[in-house]
Amino acid sequence: MPPRDPRFPPETGHDRRAIAAGSVAALVLTAAILAGSRSLDNFDVALLGYALGTIFLAFGVTYRTVIWAGSPAARRYLVRGWKALLAKPGKSVPVSEVPRTLISTLLLQRFIAQRSIPRWLAHQGLFWGVVTATMITFPLTFGWIHFRAVAGSESGYWIYVMGMRTAKIDALGIVGWLAFHGLNFSAVLVIGGGAWFLHRRWRERANNLTQLGRDLMPLIALMAISFTGLALTVSSVLMGGFGYRPMALVHMCTVVLTLIWIPFGKFFHTVQRPAMIGVHLHKQGTLGSDGALMCRSCGAPLEGAVFVSDLQETMGELGLNYAGWVNTCPSCKRIARGAQYREQVKAGF
Amino acid sequence: MRSKNLFIDPGRCIGCQACVAACRECDSHRGRSMIHLDYVDMGNSSAAMPTVCMHCSDPVAPCAQVCPVDAIPVGPDGVVGTASAELCIGCGNCVHACPFGVPKLDVAEMLQYKCDLCYDRSSQGLLPMCASVCPTDALFYGTYEELLEKRPSAEAVDVFEFGEQAIITGNAVVAPAGRNDAIPGGYSVWSEMDQDPT
Repeated sequence: MPPRDPRFPPETGHDRRAIAAGSVAALVLTAAILAGSRSLDNFDVALLGYALGTIFLAFGVTYRTVIWAGSPAARRYLVRGWKALLAKPGKSVPVSEVPRTLISTLLLQRFIAQRSIPRWLAHQGLFWGVVTATMITFPLTFGWIHFRAVAGSESGYWIYVMGMRTAKIDALGIVGWLAFHGLNFSAVLVIGGGAWFLHRRWRERANNLTQLGRDLMPLIALMAISFTGLALTVSSVLMGGFGYRPMALVHMCTVVLTLIWIPFGKFFHTVQRPAMIGVHLHKQGTLGSDGALMCRSCGAPLEGAVFVSDLQETMGELGLNYAGWVNTCPSCKRIARGAQYREQVKAGF
Repeated sequence: MRSKNLFIDPGRCIGCQACVAACRECDSHRGRSMIHLDYVDMGNSSAAMPTVCMHCSDPVAPCAQVCPVDAIPVGPDGVVGTASAELCIGCGNCVHACPFGVPKLDVAEMLQYKCDLCYDRSSQGLLPMCASVCPTDALFYGTYEELLEKRPSAEAVDVFEFGEQAIITGNAVVAPAGRNDAIPGGYSVWSEMDQDPT
């Protein structure tokens, strides 16, 4: 039996709270679907599978988030990070720092470019492909947006948002064509990025570390969604609808299975990373306000004083009884251990 | 747990840096060395201290415990992996919570790197890169029995003392025969000073 994870003591009832929070999230989304689709009047029954998958996604993501946020380090940084993000502009960090962090880290993901430019390009493809596809499909599958043909027009459609008629769009015009093919563009972006990552997994000399479930399945799932989605367009545009219905079923299965799986696999980083977006603002802000702590051995700057005290509190909660050691820099820790080995274990080496 | 481990003997280390160079060749972090080689008394002695991840087993991986995004995996064989590139936010908690001073942080990449026992190699029965090139066997990879075969008068100790905290590790340090007390981790110098009001 594997050792119990000390971050999640069994006696806290945390799991029950997570199930309750997940259920509330699923109920809220269901209510929003009912309200936005005008009591299902505008709900497309053909998209029921997608909607149910998304409701489960709401449950799963909330459940997993509550479990994750229960660990001392995550809880502390979530609170600190969001306080820094929502603080009065200019109070602890320059006014421009919040939008800069959001754009640089969340949207442009420049830290990935530091790792490698091809990796960054591939990830940007995956990211924008998934984001645009999500923004297009979620409102459609919830019945929040639907289209109705304009009377007397061959290609004109009214766009209804939350049951209210808004704008008219010509399906054969440039805007209409772009809008109705939005998911195809998303699929191309995802396939481009996913292909690079699959190729890297295939060629990587260290690929015996690659795990099917952890590393390959997320990529395969995204590629399957994209290819089956594109196949629907190919079927309707080039093949006169041949094979459309079975392909639509296969596409729905790939999407729904992925939605169900998101909270429990690698995809969960799409929740964790944005949730932690404020941590660096917090570190930067407190470094400015409270100053840095120096290594008590060599005197070199160590970290922000608040960072160190936070970490010491986290270690205390986890039962790691050497929190005072955090005041020493890693290099001095190693040298001190070497010196004691030399004095007390193997004298004079 | 795994049968083979690294046995580190600082007394044998000649500070040649071969392990540092070899570590850079590891497939999972090419061009970046994960091993630390520190000179204990620079200028007065050639004594060197090689430091790799000790793969703490009790308490299990403090670096992973303090990680706010669960980025550091601990395998069923007790190997504590390097941070997941997808998850790591580069906060630095692991760097400072590690009692041995092992993890490195690339701030621009927002990513931690650390020794993972060359898992791509050791999981296939190969030697970790550092052990494969060490000319004096200061870094010896094998079973405890294999170590004793080569050095009958050696003891391997996998318990380290950091003040009141004892930490049991996967890898071990070599000590003279009969000396099987916990290895001092360097912290006691400071904890004694903390308690001394003068």
